[in-house]
Amino acid sequence: MTHPDTSVASRPLPAASPAPIALPDIDLAQTRSLVLWRRFRRNRAALLGLILFVAVVLMAALADVVTPGDPLRIAGSPLTDPLTVASNPWGTDQLGRDIMSGIFHGARISLAIGVVATVISIAIGVVIGAVAGYFGGRIDGALMRVTEAFQTIPSFVLLLTLVAIFGSSIEIIVIAIGIVSWTAPARMVRAEFMSLRRREFVDAARNLGVSDMSIIFREILPNALPPVVVFASVVMANSILMESALAFLGLGDPNYASWGNMIGQGRAVLRTAWFCSVIPGVAILLTVLSFSLMGEGLNDALNPRQKR
Amino acid sequence: MFATSRLLCRRGGDRPHALWDFNLTVGEGEIVCLVGESGSGKSLAANAVMRLLPEPHVRVSQGTISLDGQDLLSLSEAEMRAIRGDRMAMIFQEPMTALNPQKTVGWQIDEVLRLHTNLNKAGRKARALEILGDVHIPAPASTYNAYPHQISGGQRQRVMIAMALVLKPRLIIADEPTTALDVTTQKQILKLIKDLQQAQGTGILFITHDFGVVAEIADRIAVLRLGELVEQGPAAQILRSPQHPYTRKLIAAVPALTPPPEKPASGEPLVLEARSLRKTFAARGGYLSGKRNPVIAVKDLSFQLRRGETLGVVGESGSGKTTVSRIVTRLLESDSGEVRIDGRDLISASKTELRALRKDIQMVFQDPMASLNPRRRVVELIAQGPIVQGVAKDVAHARARELLSLVELPPAAAERYPHEFSGGQRQRIGIARALAMEPRVIVADEPVSALDVSVQAQVLKLLADLRDRLHLSLLFVTHDLRVAAQLCDKVIVMSKGEIVEAGPTARVFANPEHPYTRSLLDSIPGRDWEPPVCNVA
Repeated sequence: MTHPDTSVASRPLPAASPAPIALPDIDLAQTRSLVLWRRFRRNRAALLGLILFVAVVLMAALADVVTPGDPLRIAGSPLTDPLTVASNPWGTDQLGRDIMSGIFHGARISLAIGVVATVISIAIGVVIGAVAGYFGGRIDGALMRVTEAFQTIPSFVLLLTLVAIFGSSIEIIVIAIGIVSWTAPARMVRAEFMSLRRREFVDAARNLGVSDMSIIFREILPNALPPVVVFASVVMANSILMESALAFLGLGDPNYASWGNMIGQGRAVLRTAWFCSVIPGVAILLTVLSFSLMGEGLNDALNPRQKR
Repeated sequence: MFATSRLLCRRGGDRPHALWDFNLTVGEGEIVCLVGESGSGKSLAANAVMRLLPEPHVRVSQGTISLDGQDLLSLSEAEMRAIRGDRMAMIFQEPMTALNPQKTVGWQIDEVLRLHTNLNKAGRKARALEILGDVHIPAPASTYNAYPHQISGGQRQRVMIAMALVLKPRLIIADEPTTALDVTTQKQILKLIKDLQQAQGTGILFITHDFGVVAEIADRIAVLRLGELVEQGPAAQILRSPQHPYTRKLIAAVPALTPPPEKPASGEPLVLEARSLRKTFAARGGYLSGKRNPVIAVKDLSFQLRRGETLGVVGESGSGKTTVSRIVTRLLESDSGEVRIDGRDLISASKTELRALRKDIQMVFQDPMASLNPRRRVVELIAQGPIVQGVAKDVAHARARELLSLVELPPAAAERYPHEFSGGQRQRIGIARALAMEPRVIVADEPVSALDVSVQAQVLKLLADLRDRLHLSLLFVTHDLRVAAQLCDKVIVMSKGEIVEAGPTARVFANPEHPYTRSLLDSIPGRDWEPPVCNVA
């Protein structure tokens, strides 16, 4: 292995001890994030992703300011075309609900689903992958068989089953999405752990008497996280898509104005009022795109082999 | 025959020129050793001569390189390709990565001949077999059809040499060709290079960091320091009376082969005792691949270590010495046997007993980069052990800062991350971490083999110094007999998992009884050369 030793320190010491460290006195945590930001910024696509993401977050945050009131209330005459009525700039659906209001409030639901489902799936994946990768042997075998069992069922079919059994309230949907998408992060974390547990610093920690759990979560996990962080963006995009697909099939939570619900209901009038499904569709497209662009940018930025 | 003059290589990085005013000639039938520490630019010089620099970031900005009067820098890439392999050839450090794992040895030698000669298929094969015989490969015909992973490291290096020599080149550049090999193999390879070179009159530019190897092989020596040649001259003169302070420093850092005088049997208490340790690695076959034979790594091993004593475990790769260090610290479970620290058995200890026992036996690892968690600050790394053992965090941190000065690191080091340090400094951090536990025994697994000689000498001195001041016992695992001679009171020599000889270092080195010990001692490069005592300015 070559050492990632590109910095100032690779030169041999002069004969006389004590060894001097010729480094400028700077705040290290700050420079670290600065370097990351500089690398991220160089990737134009990633910057675009970041801008889109910030736009979605702003929409979610300002929903009550820009489009106050319940997005599900009737706000105009049904099926108003966009850009014709000042109070409904993006038009209305067949029940006369304001589409712009739906998009802004829907951003909250989509982001919440994306974040919570991702946290659930990554948490399950990290725990299972870490334990399997660290201990290996029978534990690994057992956990991986469970993972494979989950992977053999198409995740959307499993999601439909779970929602069909437990109902389609928003909480159940989020948890179900988390449960069907933990397998890929688990495999990834396991692979990272299998290579990292052989490193000498793990032996060094064991030799100090550090417990297994502490080694897994405090020694190895921080070193295994970068690829997982990147992958989280993919999981988040997928979660939003899955919720939309559920809503499209009419299995979404009808009490919330989610983008998927809007497409699902707009489908009935697709030929006469295309905007009812196209506008939320574009919103989903851009949000998912923003996550995958950012993920790619993060991947490049977190890659230690890249120069600053 | 071959000369470079006023060669400047430009690149970004820590200095404006990677090589500065580099003048070197290699005469016919001459072995010139280019010596320098890591980062001195010696491999870069070799690549510049072969025109294998990663242009345009690194390029020759000024000067000439000539081979038999022909200026290499003015040649086109196609002309250069014809010269590489034909009139000059290169031998690399790591033969496993330099050979293509997908092709047989024969195919790879054949390729060289196919590219540079007009021989037909039968002629090429005959020539390949002949050269394999010349490099003393047993059974050339079967090696011809073998893949690189099927032959040993020493044989792979012989194949590399065969490939370099097959066209009888004028110049061979050997970049640390024996660094990855065991001493006994190294000795054979050095002899082979020297014999073949004398038979063919080839000039060799031999790049190395090891003064022992230099003493063994060099006709002339050039010393490179941070891209500048500080001294060059005939081997005998430089080895006996080096002029430049840097050369003196390098030579002074070479550990002398004189072990410490035998200490009288001390009345010090026994600290560590290993009794009939045994470890077998069960080779796990798949369901389809059938069973493979288990490998015996350590067979019935026992030793004793008293307070303040240093016990060296020496042997070649595969002798089981690293397994010993892992068993003794119980990083690896042994199959049977006992390891007693002050009479308490480590092998049969329960989990909670083990945690308390670990305090007494600490380890310093081989690779100082890999053994420090890159995500933790130095002070956290050092204080981690005591905190796990129940010391309050602020007390442990304060103690960690004291330890930094004990291992001669500045206090500011505490807040930094491991990657900001050089190899030697990292190893000091590793030592401080071991000391933080206030152990009775420190197990050091090749702690200096990844370091430059001058840094090596400092770390060894630090270890010896700390051992004496803190009354520590050291179990010192090494493949380098010079290092063992420097530090160890007693040694055990291991071969194939067994102790073949044990005793006080002075006695074992002066009168080796076992043939294996004798061959190990005979193979130490430059064993006839006594480094002069120089005053290091």
